[in-house]
Amino acid sequence: MEEKVKPVLEGRDVSRSFGGLMALHRVSFQLFEGEIVGLIGPNGSGKTTLFNAITGVFPPQEGEILLDGKPISRLKPFQICRMGIGRTFQIVRPFLKMTCLENVLVGIVGRDEKGTSREERVEQALSELEFVGLGGQSHRLAGSLTLLQKKMLELARALATRPRVLLLDEVLAGLNPSEILQALDMIEAIRVKRKVTIFWVEHVMGAIMTACQRIIVLDQGRKIAEGPPDEVRSNPRVIEAYLGGADA
Amino acid sequence: MKRAGLAGVFLIAILVPFFLNQYWLHVAIISLFYVMMASSWNLIAGYTGQVSFAHAAFAGVGAYTSGMLALYGGVHPALGIIAGTLLAGVLGLGLGGLCIRMGGIYLSLTTLGFSEILRIIITNEEQWTRGTMGLQIPGVFSVYSKTHYYFLFLAVTLAFLVLMRRLLNSDTGLAFRAVLNDELAASTSGIDTVRVRLMAFTSSSAMAGLAGGLYGHYLMLITPDIPSLGQMFLVLAMAVIGGMGSFAGPIIGAIALEFLSEYIRIYGEYHLLLFGLVALVIARFAPSGMVGLWEKIWRRR
Repeated sequence: MEEKVKPVLEGRDVSRSFGGLMALHRVSFQLFEGEIVGLIGPNGSGKTTLFNAITGVFPPQEGEILLDGKPISRLKPFQICRMGIGRTFQIVRPFLKMTCLENVLVGIVGRDEKGTSREERVEQALSELEFVGLGGQSHRLAGSLTLLQKKMLELARALATRPRVLLLDEVLAGLNPSEILQALDMIEAIRVKRKVTIFWVEHVMGAIMTACQRIIVLDQGRKIAEGPPDEVRSNPRVIEAYLGGADA
Repeated sequence: MKRAGLAGVFLIAILVPFFLNQYWLHVAIISLFYVMMASSWNLIAGYTGQVSFAHAAFAGVGAYTSGMLALYGGVHPALGIIAGTLLAGVLGLGLGGLCIRMGGIYLSLTTLGFSEILRIIITNEEQWTRGTMGLQIPGVFSVYSKTHYYFLFLAVTLAFLVLMRRLLNSDTGLAFRAVLNDELAASTSGIDTVRVRLMAFTSSSAMAGLAGGLYGHYLMLITPDIPSLGQMFLVLAMAVIGGMGSFAGPIIGAIALEFLSEYIRIYGEYHLLLFGLVALVIARFAPSGMVGLWEKIWRRR
């Protein structure tokens, strides 16, 4: 075996229940620097719950989540963000009554750095908007954007926090085929140019299977498979989870 | 255009005492008090979405602190008002720390409770506050002059509004609005939402304390009406009718309603009922208030 590389983001036996419902049951995972890892599973299998556990929205009740080897599961969402985990939401949540520029500025302010002037921050925000292709829209209200633009704005806001790991929750949902291609280019650019490790939930199978090096499959809160896309696709447990068991 | 408008308003504000008689000058001074109250309440309710009912209570804290310091300790009102402002801020920090995590309706109920408790204490501690009889306290100036008071109120109100504007245009203001827009998205973008809310609550409480302190030394008679819920609802109606979440809304609402209530004074306490109804209708059909309506009409032209 080669020398073990340390994961950027790691989950160890992460569990979370809501009332009597076990939403996550001892899920472990590892993300390595520069990787793009897909997270799939049928509806209600715990994908978004896992993202909420990582970002501290609903912290895990058992197990531990580590960023660069440091435990983060007792921290608050804003602290986890400042440590370097950014996210987007399944149902987009830009600040609708604020301009695009202000939306991104929130992410920069959220870094809580001392010593940058207002002008520098505005400049940074504008370059983030440029990066996601919203260059000319800086003074438009986020509420007036198209779905694709809202998603891109959310990405810009997440990037403005300077994440090391970015959690994408169904960025492709609701987009048409040409928009999907644009979004895929963007994700690849984030990974390569911005050197961000990506953890990605998606229902658009074709896209995630081609884009990801590794796929993790959840079903009913448990990890049932993990590996390269081809392996996962032919895994009988995965097929069963998606199509139902033979005896069902 | 905007600059010219502001200069015009400023000029009118300066000329006001030369055109109004003593009675209407009094109304103008009181409306400046309400401008401070409604604007600072807007800071928490309009910009961070926390409907606090303790705002009049904090004005009461300011008024009674400064008044009693002047009366029993011989402290100069200027110092007393600062002390009242600080105490209101500290109490705001404490009350906010208690109820901000609960948010929503629980925050409203807790602040409502605080407000009533404070009013009852002031009413019952007669040996210090003379209860509902009211406490006579010294004024700010040795020679009483409404014009002097008008300019004092005007100067403080302007400073107050400039300060608020600065706060809202700063990173803190940006964070306020982010929290109001979407708390979850704000927190996962690195905003410490609890701290942001607490900051808004504390600074807004201190501002109410300042307004209350000035008000008390102008009236020179402070009663438990200052920290009463009636007062609170008047401030609320002003902010809602003027336009919550906008900077100009509460200012316009406060001046309009204070002058209006002088005209309908003959109907006694019914004016509160009327304002309540109007506020309700506005909140339902024009949630951005008069300012929002005006902008809509302006855009349509």
